[in-house]
Amino acid sequence: MTAIHPAGEIIESEFASVAVKLDHDGNAVRLRVEDLRTGRVRFLDALELESLVWLADGHLTQLLDPSHERWRG
Amino acid sequence: MTAVVPSPSDVVAEVQEGGSRYDRLIQPARVHGTLYTDPSIFAEELRKIWHRTWVFVGHESEVPQVNDYVRKQLADQDVVMTRDKEGEVHLLINRCAHRGLQVCDDKAGNSSSFRCPYHGWTYRNTGELLGYPYNKGYGGKKQLPLGMGKVARVASYQGFVFGSLAEEGPSLEEHLGAAKGEIDRLVGLSPEGKVSLDAGWLRHKTRSNWKFLAENETDGYHPQFVHGSIFGVTGSPIGELYSDNSTAVTRNLGDGHSENDLRPEFRGFAEPMRWFGTTPDRVPHYVAAMKEAHGDAADRVMIEGAPHVMIFPNLFIAEIQVFNIQPVAVGECVQYSTAVQFDGGHELNMRMVSQSIGSVGPAGMLLADDTEMYERNQRGVAMADPEWLDVRRGLHRESVDENGFTIGTATDETGMRGFWNHYKSLMEAED
Amino acid sequence: MSVMTQQQGDAALPPRPDNGAELLEVPDGWEAREVEQFLYREARLADENDYDGWEALWTDDAIYWVPVDGEGDHPRTTVSIIFDNRSRISTRMKQVKTGKRYAQAPPSNLRRIIGNVEFIGGRANAEGGVDLEISANVLAFESRPRGNTLWGGRTTYRLRRVDGQIRLAYKKVVLVDNEQAVPTLGFLI
Repeated sequence: MTAIHPAGEIIESEFASVAVKLDHDGNAVRLRVEDLRTGRVRFLDALELESLVWLADGHLTQLLDPSHERWRG
Repeated sequence: MTAVVPSPSDVVAEVQEGGSRYDRLIQPARVHGTLYTDPSIFAEELRKIWHRTWVFVGHESEVPQVNDYVRKQLADQDVVMTRDKEGEVHLLINRCAHRGLQVCDDKAGNSSSFRCPYHGWTYRNTGELLGYPYNKGYGGKKQLPLGMGKVARVASYQGFVFGSLAEEGPSLEEHLGAAKGEIDRLVGLSPEGKVSLDAGWLRHKTRSNWKFLAENETDGYHPQFVHGSIFGVTGSPIGELYSDNSTAVTRNLGDGHSENDLRPEFRGFAEPMRWFGTTPDRVPHYVAAMKEAHGDAADRVMIEGAPHVMIFPNLFIAEIQVFNIQPVAVGECVQYSTAVQFDGGHELNMRMVSQSIGSVGPAGMLLADDTEMYERNQRGVAMADPEWLDVRRGLHRESVDENGFTIGTATDETGMRGFWNHYKSLMEAED
Repeated sequence: MSVMTQQQGDAALPPRPDNGAELLEVPDGWEAREVEQFLYREARLADENDYDGWEALWTDDAIYWVPVDGEGDHPRTTVSIIFDNRSRISTRMKQVKTGKRYAQAPPSNLRRIIGNVEFIGGRANAEGGVDLEISANVLAFESRPRGNTLWGGRTTYRLRRVDGQIRLAYKKVVLVDNEQAVPTLGFLI
């Protein structure tokens, strides 16, 4: 699902809502990702994105564990 | 009166003392009204039929991409049909292992994992528990042998997805039996040998016991009466297919399945695409694609047309429409209906959507009238007398076809009797 | 949208009837009172099952649409509760007038309220003019032997003047509960 939003194109499901857009302010282009439910923003550069593509499925699944980072403890 | 119609005393089996409850309620020529009205029978049906046998749930084309999901119904169970990253289709029961909350709320979406909104428990779309917030409260990560519920067995045939809540039982192919050939006939009308059910679903709330629908779907006796209004104003030839002069047959396919086999009529006309109400010159690309796919057999396939088959307990293929019947309560069910779409058959597809809208669903010019009958039927059987429903039509003139199936004429109740035979065998099984 | 539609390309698929044409300014020459009077008359003809009177309101390029799932997907590629052109409206009326359209024989007893009428804009029509687009809420109370049903929705209408008379070119009824199973809808919503 996409819509026009100042933070970019929206990618959302019933479980999460983020906006993505290309950011040109740095010396090289980055992907700006905003969690629209909290306002938290993360920039991902080309190498980080390439790493995501190569991330093993199991590692990506680990990141989806709510206690992995966000709700630790 | 004619002497050839059997009287009840001829055909009603003597019920021995100690016979099962269903021996008394289901007899060769009549069935008892309480089968449609007794809440305890409905509860038993849920256990012995809907939670045990193979039930049609949806179609693989509803989750075409990896991580697609769609909410479906399996009787009283809210089910999420998912396609995992390997492409495998799952039927998850929409219930969190923590507090029992409904996990998915949207009707459809795309997500590799589902997070319960209550406490954040997160599942892969295979149902496996992936994690929970603040894991120390459970002694760390991956400490709980829990997951979303799953429909015990999931299998598909030609893309039609069925689920069985029983761990063990006949395979889907064993359950489908002779009905497989009817699904094959439908799929054979696609030049690519594949159908999609991706045109959305109409949802028709019906204040009737589900069995009235299952029985009616291959009842060739009713169309001229219930549908006379629309046949008359449109000049439709369908009514003739279900007349006493028709060469069509009603076939008990076994295992509760039945069909109105209209092929004898269409073979008589020998006109390709007549079954669809058109001629080859009006759908030239489709006809060319079918000839390429089927070679010399293409004309036969296009002459014989699509099946009209009721697959026990809840899948009805009515030529170009598919119905999914789901019970809600003893006196209520929902009819989900959609238009068949033939992969590679785009000349036909929009027309099938249009015809389906005209025919089926809450305002359909055919199905709204069937549904009115179901609802009046439900009110009728609540009356005290006579207690029985008569299902003997054509019993005296049934025969066995070359494949060993019992057949009756186009208007005979052969299909209903097949339904009740199978129903009785399931209801007499141990809990 | 179905896979098939994509295969045959967008060219084969006409624009969506609801938003496929640009929304223009409200055309000149329409008074709120006469528009509302027309809506009330259309509602009364439907309530009283005056099939001939109701059918006569429609233009030849009529569209009568009751989608499912909110605003609905493209009605040529996905199913709707009703998607009638002028010819199918005529068939529907002929069927009900046989007196053997059992879903509506006997006819429902009905009364509806039309309210919250808003002028939305204009839509170019095939005759070179601009239809007035308005929307309104509808709440209809239906009584049948099966029980009473309350139907609610938002209706979008397109009106056109033909030979000095207001005519109905388009009516789309988005039922409030169209994401759920709904009972038989045998009457004219």
